[in-house]
Amino acid sequence: MSAEKYRLTSIRASYGRNLGIAVDELALTAGGLYVLIGPNGSGKSTLLSVMAFLKKPEQGTICFDGAQVNWTARECFLLRQHVTLLHQNPYLFSGSVSGNVAFGMVARGARRDTAREVIRESLAKVGLEGFESRAARKLSSGESRRVALARALACEPEVLLLDEPFAHADRASAKLLETVILALAAGGATTLVISSHDERLGSRLGATIIYLDEGKLDKIQDSRVM
Amino acid sequence: MANVVKLLSVKRRESLWIGFSACVLALVCHPLSAQTRLRMSTTTSTENSGLLDVLLPPFEKQCNCKVDVIAVGTGKALKLGEQGDVDVVLVHARALEDQFVANGFGVDRRDVMYNDFVIIGPASDPAELNHASSAVDAFQRIAGRQALFISRGDDSGTYQKEEEIWSAAKINPVGSWYRSAGQGMGEVIMMATELRGYTLADRGTYNAYRHGKTDLAIVYDDSHAFGRQGKSFSQLTVDQVTALTGANGLFNPYGVIAVNPKRFPYVHYDLAMKFIAYITGTEGQQIIANYRVQGDSVFFTYKGK
Amino acid sequence: MADFFVQSFRMAMALIFARDKEVLSAVAISLNVAMWSVALGSVLGVPIGMLVALGNFPGKGAVRLVLNSLMAMPTVVIGLLVYAFISRQGPLGSLGLLFTPVAIIIGQSILATPVIGNYVLSTIQGVDELILPTAQTLGASNLRSVWQLAREVRFGLVAAIVAGFGRVISEVGVAMMVGGNIRMYTRTMTTAIALETSKGEFAFGLALGLILICVSLAVNLFLTIAQESRRV
Repeated sequence: MSAEKYRLTSIRASYGRNLGIAVDELALTAGGLYVLIGPNGSGKSTLLSVMAFLKKPEQGTICFDGAQVNWTARECFLLRQHVTLLHQNPYLFSGSVSGNVAFGMVARGARRDTAREVIRESLAKVGLEGFESRAARKLSSGESRRVALARALACEPEVLLLDEPFAHADRASAKLLETVILALAAGGATTLVISSHDERLGSRLGATIIYLDEGKLDKIQDSRVM
Repeated sequence: MANVVKLLSVKRRESLWIGFSACVLALVCHPLSAQTRLRMSTTTSTENSGLLDVLLPPFEKQCNCKVDVIAVGTGKALKLGEQGDVDVVLVHARALEDQFVANGFGVDRRDVMYNDFVIIGPASDPAELNHASSAVDAFQRIAGRQALFISRGDDSGTYQKEEEIWSAAKINPVGSWYRSAGQGMGEVIMMATELRGYTLADRGTYNAYRHGKTDLAIVYDDSHAFGRQGKSFSQLTVDQVTALTGANGLFNPYGVIAVNPKRFPYVHYDLAMKFIAYITGTEGQQIIANYRVQGDSVFFTYKGK
Repeated sequence: MADFFVQSFRMAMALIFARDKEVLSAVAISLNVAMWSVALGSVLGVPIGMLVALGNFPGKGAVRLVLNSLMAMPTVVIGLLVYAFISRQGPLGSLGLLFTPVAIIIGQSILATPVIGNYVLSTIQGVDELILPTAQTLGASNLRSVWQLAREVRFGLVAAIVAGFGRVISEVGVAMMVGGNIRMYTRTMTTAIALETSKGEFAFGLALGLILICVSLAVNLFLTIAQESRRV
């Protein structure tokens, strides 16, 4: 049986003035593929932010890789080296595409030559070969999203969280996304959590589906069993 | 703007940037002088006369120092001395100077030079000051006629003098004819010119203005006291000049005072004394006596100096 | 009236071509103190602006209000305050700073800081709120993330510096009060103009004013070019 990646207990976190989420019990296994389903405003983004260690919950505990998280600044920084969140409307830094894609590696102290190869590979995975020297902020919407994905992939995180990646995707991009996700899932080294409001996505991907409604966990279903 | 920049090649842009940074560095390294600096406070009229521009350089050369001249109103000039913010004071307000020394702020007051005040007004002279026998008499005529008079109304030596005369004339100047400006000598002369009124001015500033800036004329001065109508009254003795100061006349003696080192140990006392020796010595006195503004003498040196 | 302007313009040209020592000195001193003041003002103002924009602390609203109001402080008041501190009678008197260029720099830095701080504050508040979390989730430390944020808003930062420069190059209250308008030492362009106008030399004063405007334009032009040429 795989190890437990996350165990969330009695988590309460707010978004602005609304009580964002109230999750009593949630466990995710390492290497698993999860789809988080819920209507708009159900707290999906908030939950992902908490799991990305970007947002400290007001109450509750999280165990990551079996160790309890104390939410100190230093600890969060260290944990974030293993978890990467791709926002729904990702922000690209000014500069070149390669500058963006390399950002995570540079932050981790990678060297230029190793970085170059990873950049090339990541861009190839999202179908943007040769885009290295393009100006990131001058790309089309679709291209920007792909660069953001490449940037997240280049970090090679243990946990990859995707916030509504299919929401603005055209058919080609959706297909590409599915390919990337399934490839990562098959590898077994990456825990994937993807949020969406499309119920059928879960079964298409063969993922475990987590239902979220008004911040509360509704039910969890393994789509392969359904 | 972006288009203009695009026209320049990358190389040109880089060199522009480098050039700019070089200018910045050059300016930032602008020498903030390491020489000893003697701080002197004086009055604006003294600085505006331009005398110091001629008088100071030889001294600066001799002593290898720089003299910082802070020109403010007489009152403030003495205040700076009282606070120990300057090393030496050069003003023309005898009563205040004596007080300054008496209170222990300054030492070694010396007479340097003198000039005089004049009463100026429109050439038509409606209050007939031309026939006045003294400054007090002149002021009485102005008040009697309620002729327009512009006053400095600040802490200057000129205003001091004005007050002394009103006081001696036993007049309290109040009314729409008496306008207190609260500004510098130049501004007050311009105001009197515009409004066709009388005012009390130091001869030096008046001379600087009479070639083109003002059409007012000298309607009364004390030069007649020595039978030398309007022209040179240099080389008078200290006593002669003193006799015509205060409420008694329009003469205006200048004094230089070193700030008391016992009170403010950090002041450049030795340098201050050197400076005082210079301006009261032969070289300094000659420069003062020979100084002309558009052909007119501005300051006069005492006899026997 | 037109006569007066033509005369001033002619005078300005003559002064520039003759490379009049005093005029050059005034320009150099103005630029020197302005640049130091803007540098110090940035060192203080940028972090303050960022802290107030990004931080979450009680009384944040009050701090923003104060920062805003300080922008409109009359320069003579700042001049008076600095004077009180650095005069021999004041707490910092023993440093002998009064009537030196350093005194002007101190005063003008106090002027520049709130201006720069406010511009930085506005810039950061108007920026995409995802910048910091994006940098963080990609593994950057908090410090590195804030640095990235600064890089993303660098045009706003340059605008802040330009605004700070404008505030100090044009002021006369501080320079006059704590500088003393000493010829070739603390006489800036603005105090020189004040002096000439008080002597009734309006044309000369205006000529100096024209030179000041040109110098100011030149500096702003350079800053703009530098900013544009580094844009990618």
